[in-house]
Amino acid sequence: MEQEGRSALIELYLERRADLIRFFTLRLRSASAAEDLVQDIYVRLSGVTDTPDIQNPVGYLYRLGSNLMLDRLRGERRGAFRDGAWLDTQRTVMGAQEVADEPSAEQVVADRQRLAALVSALGDLNPQTQRVFRMHKFEGLTHPQVAATLGISRSAVEKHIMAALKHLAAVAR
Amino acid sequence: MNGKRTFGGGDQAAEEAARWFVRLQSEAADAGDWQAFEAWLAASPDHVAAYEHLESLWVDLEAAPQVIAHRLDQVALRPAPRRTRGIALRNPGRRAWIAGAGAIAASLVVAVEIANRPAGVDDTLTLRAAPGETRQYVLADGTRINLNAGSEIQVRMGRDARRVTMADAEAVFDVAHDARRPFLITSGDREVRVVGTMFNLRQRDGKMALTVRRGIVEVRPAGAPQAPATRVTVGQQLAHSQGGESVLTADGLSDSAFAWTTGQLVYRGQPLGEVAADLSRRFATPVRTADADAASLRFSGVLVLDNEPAVLRRIEAFAPVTAVRAADGVILRRRAGG
Repeated sequence: MEQEGRSALIELYLERRADLIRFFTLRLRSASAAEDLVQDIYVRLSGVTDTPDIQNPVGYLYRLGSNLMLDRLRGERRGAFRDGAWLDTQRTVMGAQEVADEPSAEQVVADRQRLAALVSALGDLNPQTQRVFRMHKFEGLTHPQVAATLGISRSAVEKHIMAALKHLAAVAR
Repeated sequence: MNGKRTFGGGDQAAEEAARWFVRLQSEAADAGDWQAFEAWLAASPDHVAAYEHLESLWVDLEAAPQVIAHRLDQVALRPAPRRTRGIALRNPGRRAWIAGAGAIAASLVVAVEIANRPAGVDDTLTLRAAPGETRQYVLADGTRINLNAGSEIQVRMGRDARRVTMADAEAVFDVAHDARRPFLITSGDREVRVVGTMFNLRQRDGKMALTVRRGIVEVRPAGAPQAPATRVTVGQQLAHSQGGESVLTADGLSDSAFAWTTGQLVYRGQPLGEVAADLSRRFATPVRTADADAASLRFSGVLVLDNEPAVLRRIEAFAPVTAVRAADGVILRRRAGG
């Protein structure tokens, strides 16, 4: 059962590989970066041990790749953007050595300002939009879960999140 | 605001990007949606840029989840209704799948509150953190369970006792005090008995490690409630191998057992094979040691779990190994002459 689910996904992946590469070439503006990413999707699929009951297997492949892109972005934004730096607390010390890869002071300041702007922009949103956004983004609830929790429709949830994103995007420009 | 502007089409692109971003987060997005999205991206470089802009702020928001969550709490006029009656676990299979999808998105901590079970209902819930993510659960009694990546436990909130079973998992338990309903955890061949306390419990590969931060925890063989208990208290650690002896220590280093909850792993001379197994649970790409020789290398250090390539670079800096990328993961190999 588990084996079947896994290999079906890999079959689908092989079938769609060229489509995925075309799509991620557009996203990454680079064919070779897209090749790498699509290879990572494969690695990820071979590590899937659950046999999830997938609604849209093709959509899943694209979403997996898009999430890997986000993960890379997260990797690039480390450093000043760590909680520790934001809260001005201690640095991590390994033995006697500080962990390397600290960003430049200018970068730290710029990143903090950007983060402060985002945090303050969240406060501009109306309370219900804030609530929806928080539940989805920070508490990890899916759109249907947020909808059921607040007793609103799924499309209302999507509208709140869209409104929040548009506002944040305008502020963080 | 008028929707369109001629200069760069910025507002319209931003609006459409937000719509795509939200739509594509849904599991309901199918092949047709992604193809339409591709066509939209191809239509203009502004579209690609607008979408990237959203992704970057989406990630930036994760830089300080506590700070932001706190701020949102303050700003909101009253706290959001948090009772998610039945939702989180109405369908455990579905939930597990959602968890699996989340695993792709790094190790962002999410909190899911488990609803109060209706009276008389006494079924078993499975709580899970897929590889690559940690999860926080709040049980109906207020007990908090912070699950480390690649962990699964079963919970049963009975009338006479609260029971947890863990076979391959690591978690910090902050147990709500309830003298009438002891909190019992079966971990391999041991049973851990709690009244109200906070501790980290790890059960991996037949080895158990218990570290207590607050209160007292009793450990006895599983299925032998009359057997004499070992009492573990603040700052102490109990290590036990399946079928073997238990060792109680108090080395003043017990805080390191909780480090994973703040995105770090602390090692003092652990075999590299164990480090590789921990990283495989925490990150998307599996890590293994090339051979027994590499697996037995002793590793000491604090690893900040920000992203996998950076962590691997640090391991290379602190141990005589190189990390080699293979088709199915990363292999740690002993450096020549190392």
